[in-house]
Amino acid sequence: MVAAKNVNTNHSSQKGLPALLSASIAGLLLSITTQAQAENDGIALHGFADVGFSAQTVESPDNKGFNVGSLDFYLTPQFGDNVRSLIEIIFETLPDGSLATDLERVQMGYAFSDSATVWAGRFHSPYGYWNTAFHHGAQIQTSILRPRFIDFEDKGGILPAHMVGMWATGKIKAGGGKFTYDVYAGNGPQLDMSEATITNPGAGVLTINTAGDNNHQAMVGINLGYDFSGSMDGLRLSIHTLSGDVDELNDVNPPVNNTELSMAGGTIEYLGNDWEVLGEYYSFNNKDKSGTSGSHSSWADFLQIGKNFNGLTPYVRAEKAVLDQADNYFSNQASGQSYTRQSLGLKYDLNPKASLKLELLNSKFEADATHGAGSSYRSMLAQYAIRF
Amino acid sequence: MKSTFFRFFAALLLALSFSQVANAADVVVISNSGTSISAGDVKDIFLGEKQFAGSTKLVPVDNAASQESFLSKFMNMAGDKYNSMWTKKSFRDGLTPPAVKSGDADVIEFVKKTPGAVGYVSSAPAGVNVVK
Repeated sequence: MVAAKNVNTNHSSQKGLPALLSASIAGLLLSITTQAQAENDGIALHGFADVGFSAQTVESPDNKGFNVGSLDFYLTPQFGDNVRSLIEIIFETLPDGSLATDLERVQMGYAFSDSATVWAGRFHSPYGYWNTAFHHGAQIQTSILRPRFIDFEDKGGILPAHMVGMWATGKIKAGGGKFTYDVYAGNGPQLDMSEATITNPGAGVLTINTAGDNNHQAMVGINLGYDFSGSMDGLRLSIHTLSGDVDELNDVNPPVNNTELSMAGGTIEYLGNDWEVLGEYYSFNNKDKSGTSGSHSSWADFLQIGKNFNGLTPYVRAEKAVLDQADNYFSNQASGQSYTRQSLGLKYDLNPKASLKLELLNSKFEADATHGAGSSYRSMLAQYAIRF
Repeated sequence: MKSTFFRFFAALLLALSFSQVANAADVVVISNSGTSISAGDVKDIFLGEKQFAGSTKLVPVDNAASQESFLSKFMNMAGDKYNSMWTKKSFRDGLTPPAVKSGDADVIEFVKKTPGAVGYVSSAPAGVNVVK
């Protein structure tokens, strides 16, 4: 797995459990599943795993060579007609070779009807489409890399990919299609600046508040969409927003780094006739609450197009982020640098549960005061991904 | 020569027409006698989009013997895509894919005894609702 540029992933909340304990957790999961199957409790264990290889031109800061990606387990225990639950744990190797264990999701829900399910716990923030559709499922994701600006927090993503809180979701039939909604609120993230130095000030990483919110102000998001039907079956259009305060971890009082994150945008997805068209747009109007720099506007988007030809899916993706470096929220983050990236790839399904992927990338990062000189490099990635 | 070609062509047309009639009749959707659903609900039920009929939890089951015909006629998708969609549904929403029964007899037995059950078989049996 290619590391995000300039991100120190030795993050305290991601530093792994000892390998023996991690293996014990995996063994416990498997034993629970085996026993449950014998007793017909309906607990099925599923997951994803991937390995890969990467090579880059010399300008790239990413690791080169073979790599073990991640091993992801998830369970969906059923507790009657209306109770839902989903538990996901992941083991992944970090760029320094250490093993990290993350309790990715622990969500418990209740389905009141087809149009209303309420979840509580730790879940994938339901902005856009990509974050909830693929997340750590490498085999079901067409490309190897996620669009960089919506990568995971510990990989340098600029948005909170996870949230601990509550989430209401559902679909309502209307006009032949369906309105979709996601309304969620939870603990906002903090910005961990522990790796920042005088020579590398823009090395912050978003960290999720899993055990309570530091600023007692919920982060709130909405995602509203419409699933078309008939001749446009497979097309979904949606709009999304996310807002809330993001403070620096262990900040002093008064805080020196406090931003009111304000994001709005939209998505387009078309999944039909073997096409996969995914486009997401995010605009930011963040407010500096700890300083006097006022509000700052930025934006980021991507568009990925692929088509399946009997298990062979070529795809292309273009992504761009124009991030105002006067906005502390971006200038302090390791991945808060403006950039463009183009990707060209091929996914081949060996069978429905195993895929080979090859991806070529051309990346260009803009120079700025906190992230240093700009850079431009090319990468070639390969991945073997399975699901079970 | 001309009459031979004509006979061959007629025989081919006849064979194709029988084939289409056979395909149209070779899979019917059934539900538990206490569960009422419409033909328009079938696709949503088997994609996990419709989980309730009123207050009754729907329980779809797949039939290994008839799945290909069912997916072609009612879902307009191949088996690989159907399985892939359920993987995504399970991963995102915590749902469990429909259980797969080996054939008509198992599906009929399950549908008869399970409130909310919806399945598909090659011919309509007695004691269950046939979805039209």
